[in-house]
Amino acid sequence: MSVGLITLIVLGLAVLGFIYGRHRALSAVEGDARHLHSLPSYYGWSVFLFTAVPSLLLMCAWLILQPSIIENRVAALVPEADIAAAGSLNLVMADVRRIAGGIDAMAKEAGLDEAGIDALRADLSDIRGRLAEVGVALGSNVGEPILNAAREFRSLNASMRMAMAVAVIVAAVAGLVFAALRINPALRARNLVEQFVLVLLVSCSMIAVATTVGIIVSLVFESWHFFQLYPAKDFLFSTTWNPKFGGGSSLGIWPLLWGTLYVSFISLIVAAPIGLLAAIYLSEYATPKVRATVKPLLEVLAGIPSIVYGLFALITVGPLLRDWIAVPAGLGDSSSSVMTAGLVMGIMLIPYVSSLSDDIINAVPQAMRDGSFGLGATHSETIKRVVLPAALPGIVGAILLAASRAIGETMIVVMGAGAAAKLSLNPFEAMTTVTVKIVSQLTGDTEFASPETLVAFALGLTLFCFTLALNVLALVIVRKYREQYE
Amino acid sequence: MNDMRIADRKVSTETAKMTARGVQVYYGENHALKDVDVDILSGTVTAFIGPSGCGKSTFLRCLNRMNDTVASARVLGEIKLDGENIYDKRVDPVTLRARVGMVFQKPNPFPKSIYENVAYGPRIHGLTRNKAELDEVVEMSLKRAALWNEVKDRLDAPGTGLSGGQQQRLCIARAVATSPEVLLMDEPCSALDPIATAQVEELIDELRSQFSVVIVTHSMQQAARVSQRTAFFHLGHLVEYGETGQIFTNPKDPRTESYITGRIG
Repeated sequence: MSVGLITLIVLGLAVLGFIYGRHRALSAVEGDARHLHSLPSYYGWSVFLFTAVPSLLLMCAWLILQPSIIENRVAALVPEADIAAAGSLNLVMADVRRIAGGIDAMAKEAGLDEAGIDALRADLSDIRGRLAEVGVALGSNVGEPILNAAREFRSLNASMRMAMAVAVIVAAVAGLVFAALRINPALRARNLVEQFVLVLLVSCSMIAVATTVGIIVSLVFESWHFFQLYPAKDFLFSTTWNPKFGGGSSLGIWPLLWGTLYVSFISLIVAAPIGLLAAIYLSEYATPKVRATVKPLLEVLAGIPSIVYGLFALITVGPLLRDWIAVPAGLGDSSSSVMTAGLVMGIMLIPYVSSLSDDIINAVPQAMRDGSFGLGATHSETIKRVVLPAALPGIVGAILLAASRAIGETMIVVMGAGAAAKLSLNPFEAMTTVTVKIVSQLTGDTEFASPETLVAFALGLTLFCFTLALNVLALVIVRKYREQYE
Repeated sequence: MNDMRIADRKVSTETAKMTARGVQVYYGENHALKDVDVDILSGTVTAFIGPSGCGKSTFLRCLNRMNDTVASARVLGEIKLDGENIYDKRVDPVTLRARVGMVFQKPNPFPKSIYENVAYGPRIHGLTRNKAELDEVVEMSLKRAALWNEVKDRLDAPGTGLSGGQQQRLCIARAVATSPEVLLMDEPCSALDPIATAQVEELIDELRSQFSVVIVTHSMQQAARVSQRTAFFHLGHLVEYGETGQIFTNPKDPRTESYITGRIG
């Protein structure tokens, strides 16, 4: 029985439970709902939840645990010699799973029945050829023990599936009966349902927190692996980045970090003033009609995928800067440059800064402006001396949000600034950033054992520390300069 | 009500500081103020009373062109300050507001220090030449607003950290610091407790020696206590305007009488 079918059955039972629970509650008070503690539908929902939730949770747990249990049992059947020949147990198990899948396909396409499968003999029937016919290509001939393991894998899988179906449906029925029997007019069904909702809300927020923690832990863990293979001193203090997959690479973070900071800095130089001034115009001076057209238009900028900005950088801005500024000024002849990426990224960030700042400026109470006008201040004096100081914490927040975005941006940098790790002050030279190098270290055929790939995690961790520090800095600034208008 | 009053009924001068003739205000289609004629005398506290939505705040906001900041508002008619029409094209509303200051219903100190709040006006208008003069203006204004003794040791503390009554007196000090000629107050005590109200009322009476004060109030006792002149507005019309004692003891219009005796409102 497939997972989908089981889910449908459980939900069907739950709906029946809902109808029965509602009916039972109503008939217990002879149809007069005023004598019930809760509305009749709450009794229905309590049965529904008791039927569906525990059984579906059981199914999830089962599905998570089942593969590892089966793997363990099947792995015991694989002889040591096969493991040694293949290189590792993982590879053998991958073969076993593929053969099992192939047998399933054979059973479906060639009409092989269970007896036929049992009759398969590795030495007699041409397993490799027959599997190839159904689209499963194997690297080598299949030995008898592996075939047996695959057969065992199939049968275990099938029986566990069956057991799961039975267990889940039994759980659903048990929940239904339990909840239905509890129904009496005094049962606080509404509170029960609301508790379920509360648990749902709590678990959703837990998922968010847990994934964050999980990501950080895995970053730290893999970085730890990296630092065991590669000295942390070199990673943190070396100024060359030169990975060689043959070994002997130098993996200094500085050229990458410098590139990241340089590009982000230029993009903020572009985005922060333009975005902020646009926000001031939109929120303070623009008539409602202008505002209603310009604001959405500006926000369209935020909706353009960064790869499109990347194209724009590669094809238009890069050559333009090279031909009109870099070459005449003798600053280089590369069309990929920090300046290109920074400018284009700055344009991308304008709507982030402007849209957030606009909301924040609008949130400054009108009473502040009136107070200032009432003292004979002009509009611009009011903005400079009253509105902006009051909105400052939010504006700093908006700019730092844009900064985190700039630090994490990859596509525009690849296309605009190139991929050469360099430490240079010249903004018209090609440089690269941490994120770009994470991508290039992990693309292609990689094995997570060499410092050249594991360095990606260390880079990721560094980046994470950077954005974290930026957020902390933002908090400190905001606390210090906050002008509260409550 | 004579026992409650703190103000001297005698009006020292009869010279008009501001004169309004045939003032009409529209908010979009809504005709909010109809044909209002009022003379604001110098050295006098003038109270505007009337039920909610009667146009008294609207009229107050015409006197320093604060209605200009409301996009849909349209003001017709003539309002003169010292004989000059304030709605004339040559008049800069910003300069006008420096001459006709305003204190609002809800205390709205800027989110700055107490000192900076008071120094705001003098700074933007360049009224002082150096820090010492500015210090002096700030001290003078705070003293006039009867707040100096409470805040002199913490001028750097944020103005928003004061109590409601203190905040309102800070706003008055802020308005006084620009040395306006007329001070408009839009229900300045509606957010204050009785003690703070009493302090502000006392203050209004003292301010009369330097400025003309116009106060909008919902409290008829307050109007009777602090003002020499009272104008009663109803449904956008100026119903009656005259000496406060006369308005409260011997109103000419039956609507005024109904309002002050609590029958309409």
